[in-house]
Amino acid sequence: MSTDIQIAIVGSAGDGTIAAGDILRRAMAEMGYRVISFDLYPAEIRGFGKCIARLRVTDEQAYSLKPRSDVLVSLDDSHAIPHVSEAREWGAVIYESGSVTPLAEGAHISAHIDPGQIPYHVPIRELSEKSTGSARSRNIVVLGYIAGLFRLSIDGFLRALNSKFKGKADIAQKNEAALRAGYEEGARWFRLDDIDFGPPPAKGAGATVEMISGNAAVVRGALDAGIDNFFGYPITPATSIMERLASEMPKRGTRLVQTEDEIAAISATVGAGFAGARTATATSGPGLALMSEMLGLGIIAEVPCVVFVSQRGGPSTGLPTKTEQSDLNIAVYGGHGDAPRIVIAPTNVEGCYRCAGKAFEMAEAYQTPVILLLDLYLSNRYETVPFPAKPPFEADMNSYADTRGGNAAGFKRYALTADNVSPRTVPGQKGGMHIATGLEHNELGRPNDQPDNHAAMSRKRHEKLQLALKHPDFTHTKRFGDEGKVEVGVIAWGSTFGEALEAMILARAEGIRCAAMKVVMIAPFPTEAVAAFMADCGDVLIPEVNYQGQFAGILQAHIPRPVTRLARVPCEPMEVGDILAEIRRLAGRTTEQQAA
Amino acid sequence: MSSNVRHHIVIGSGVAGNQAAETLRERDPDSRITMITISRLPFFNRYDLPRVFRGERDWRRFIIYPADYYRRNRIALRRATRVVGVDSTAQTLTLEHKETIHFDSLLVASGAGAYLPEDMSEFRPLLHGFGAFRDAIEVADALPKKGHAILLGGDTIGLDLARTLLDTGHRVTLVAGPYTFWPHEVTPEERPKYVAALQKMGIVVVEAQERGGIAGVEKGAKGLAARRITFGNGSDLSGDVVMPFFGVAPSLDFMLGSGVDIERGLLVSPNLRTTNENIYAAGDVCQIWTDSEHRYCFYHGWKNVRAMGELAARNITGANEPWVPPQDETLRLSKDGKIQSPFWEYQ
Ligand SMILES: Cc1cc2nc3c(=O)[nH]c(=O)nc-3n(C[C@H](O)[C@H](O)[C@H](O)COP(=O)(O)OP(=O)(O)OC[C@H]3O[C@@H](n4cnc5c(N)ncnc54)[C@H](O)[C@@H]3O)c2cc1C
Repeated sequence: MSTDIQIAIVGSAGDGTIAAGDILRRAMAEMGYRVISFDLYPAEIRGFGKCIARLRVTDEQAYSLKPRSDVLVSLDDSHAIPHVSEAREWGAVIYESGSVTPLAEGAHISAHIDPGQIPYHVPIRELSEKSTGSARSRNIVVLGYIAGLFRLSIDGFLRALNSKFKGKADIAQKNEAALRAGYEEGARWFRLDDIDFGPPPAKGAGATVEMISGNAAVVRGALDAGIDNFFGYPITPATSIMERLASEMPKRGTRLVQTEDEIAAISATVGAGFAGARTATATSGPGLALMSEMLGLGIIAEVPCVVFVSQRGGPSTGLPTKTEQSDLNIAVYGGHGDAPRIVIAPTNVEGCYRCAGKAFEMAEAYQTPVILLLDLYLSNRYETVPFPAKPPFEADMNSYADTRGGNAAGFKRYALTADNVSPRTVPGQKGGMHIATGLEHNELGRPNDQPDNHAAMSRKRHEKLQLALKHPDFTHTKRFGDEGKVEVGVIAWGSTFGEALEAMILARAEGIRCAAMKVVMIAPFPTEAVAAFMADCGDVLIPEVNYQGQFAGILQAHIPRPVTRLARVPCEPMEVGDILAEIRRLAGRTTEQQAA
Repeated sequence: MSSNVRHHIVIGSGVAGNQAAETLRERDPDSRITMITISRLPFFNRYDLPRVFRGERDWRRFIIYPADYYRRNRIALRRATRVVGVDSTAQTLTLEHKETIHFDSLLVASGAGAYLPEDMSEFRPLLHGFGAFRDAIEVADALPKKGHAILLGGDTIGLDLARTLLDTGHRVTLVAGPYTFWPHEVTPEERPKYVAALQKMGIVVVEAQERGGIAGVEKGAKGLAARRITFGNGSDLSGDVVMPFFGVAPSLDFMLGSGVDIERGLLVSPNLRTTNENIYAAGDVCQIWTDSEHRYCFYHGWKNVRAMGELAARNITGANEPWVPPQDETLRLSKDGKIQSPFWEYQ
């Protein structure tokens, strides 16, 4: 990559840290760069707590943030000081040169800058006050400074600023003044760092590249797949899926209902699916727990529907604003009885779009609830995503029974077929029978508790899902890195795959033979592909953000082979450095060897 | 501070400051050492700056110690940080951003900045300095291939630069005056032979006095060289850059009001202590009491400055050794008529 620059802005809630990060990523995307970004902020109200906006700007889409930033900006030294070491050697540390109040020794960030880092001490407050009459635009001054220092087009920043403050002319005007003041200051400075923004990549034909969050990509996927109905109840970090759909669906003549709770939401979703609609709900772990009974109905009645689940720290109310991957077990196994379902987990924002659309296809094709599993890190992170000119989703994948002239009484809604998928009818279809029962049933859909029937129906419900592993135009697993035998293979799922991939790339650069596999489809488990990959690996490492190593457990249930679990609950995304350290350890590299 | 660990602070990260920090670490391994400097760059030798004209523009190739040197030696290097005041009684210093730091011993090695005579100061925006890396890059950018540099004053720093500029195919004109050859003292009788040596090097020498002194520096007219100097007698001179070399003036604003004695530089006894027992000074910033001269003297040049840094650090850490003035600091001519300055003997 000729451009690969990560910028971290650290401040206190109320400093405009997150807003600055937002404008910066919009500006970068506007210029044509690829962006991935993720913000950390406290749940507290304005004026308290640390906020960090991190974004990585590249010319090819990156899958994760880097372990170290190239530029670190402090909008509040007390919060930024613990993060100074995040700026790499010869990277830039940009900070306020002055102080309003006397400081004790060490309270200023300059005391903590490493000799290898390049200090940029900027009169941020003064520039803001001079250009706007107040210190409130310090965050925008900093953006202007970055643009000026790194010779980036100010126009991209101005457009991003104006779109952010659309309809607020006064604020936009002041911020433009602050941006220009910062820009002039930055352009004046003599650069000592080695940070270079190469030209943005040329715009490709056909696809449009947009910067979008994981949840927004899910919404886009659902809309492009032609969602008819959505029923939901708000819960962090899934709420924005419903909010976005709420503003989009009425425009398309489709319906969204906010129900009184999650049980009502899943009940309505299963009901609408039964009625033949493309339908979904969205929730997080606690909501999924409430939904599990009705999911069972969807499974036994073989009703297509989609459940978007964005995980957060748990159990119970847990850590609602922290990311975690600890709802995998409930997604795959949660519920009563033998209740197989499809669980897919995208690994990046583009994957959120594709998987959301594909979830509707699969739900219809295999007549089952499909869970799309995200987490807070993926839901809230932003990436630039190339969207194809035409949505890559099938509008209808139902296999309808031809009931013309048929005998409704003899219609076998749950016929045992060669591929275990029974042609379905929707209510109102002439000659069809419309049964949805929570009781075990026979092919006609009538209650039946005979052992042979239960065994046959259980097999049907399980076996049909295997078809999903061959679902058209869907990648259930993908290998990256070295081909053939490798010292260490990293297998990861969901949002952690990005960090795993980055760690694998760094390990290869250190001379370790290494490969990584992402597993997008977790149920049914792609045993064949994963086992083939593992056969090539000396050691297998599975990093995931939960305490138990839930994915490792599922994998070992299918492939009984020892793996190394890197299961952590840091309340943040997994660190690339931690995965890399474990790869080195497994590859038998000492610190001296890798330094050499 | 309640800690028993001594905190040595060194102001300045030039030759004197770095040598002092190294010696302090050797002699007081458990102490805290903080080095404060306005500079954003780690330490580099300023006499290396002319290398910029030979195409070396990456500052990393100039630095003397890698970043790891400071980490290993536990020298907290605070760059881009200006000291604005020292309270010798409270043993604290204040930084521009209002941070106060306590010291047990303070070594002032803040050096000296280029001196610009009062009557020249109004032309400052049109002059190119040469004290910092950035200055060197800016001059190199402003000077075209075979371009013409006009040096005013002509101290030894300027003359050293002139050698490189001539070597790299540029033209050099020296507007000579009382500062030519500074800090060497050249008698009126000797001066012509040194001026002739400069001319032999290829420098065009113009005596300012003969032209009625420098009257002004202005931007060159469109299509002509970027700068024009006018003289009192109405004559003029055009060049691409105009650079002042009038010697240096100690950087010690922040010491005013500190309670230690100052003349032109910080006054120190032969063991480099100021009038405060916890504050020492070394390098271009200080004037050392010299018995043989019966006065406080400056000793410039990197060799002297480095020796001062070492001596001050030794004395801070328990020694009580005096400064031994250098033997021979005079300007010489070699057998083949080339100017030789002890300040240029660093290769
Ligand atoms: C371009 C150039 C070429 C030279 N060539 C030669 C040569 O060829 N031979 C030779 O012998 N000598 C040469 N010299 C002179 C020699 O470099 C000096 O004698 C020497 O640098 C002085 O060292 P010093 O440590 O006393 O101060 P300096 O090197 O000047 O360092 C002073 C330090 O103090 C810091 N400082 C100043 N004020 C403050 C403050 N308020 N707060 C915090 N920090 C402060 C500065 O940032 C700097 O780090 C040259 C000088 C220059 C500028």
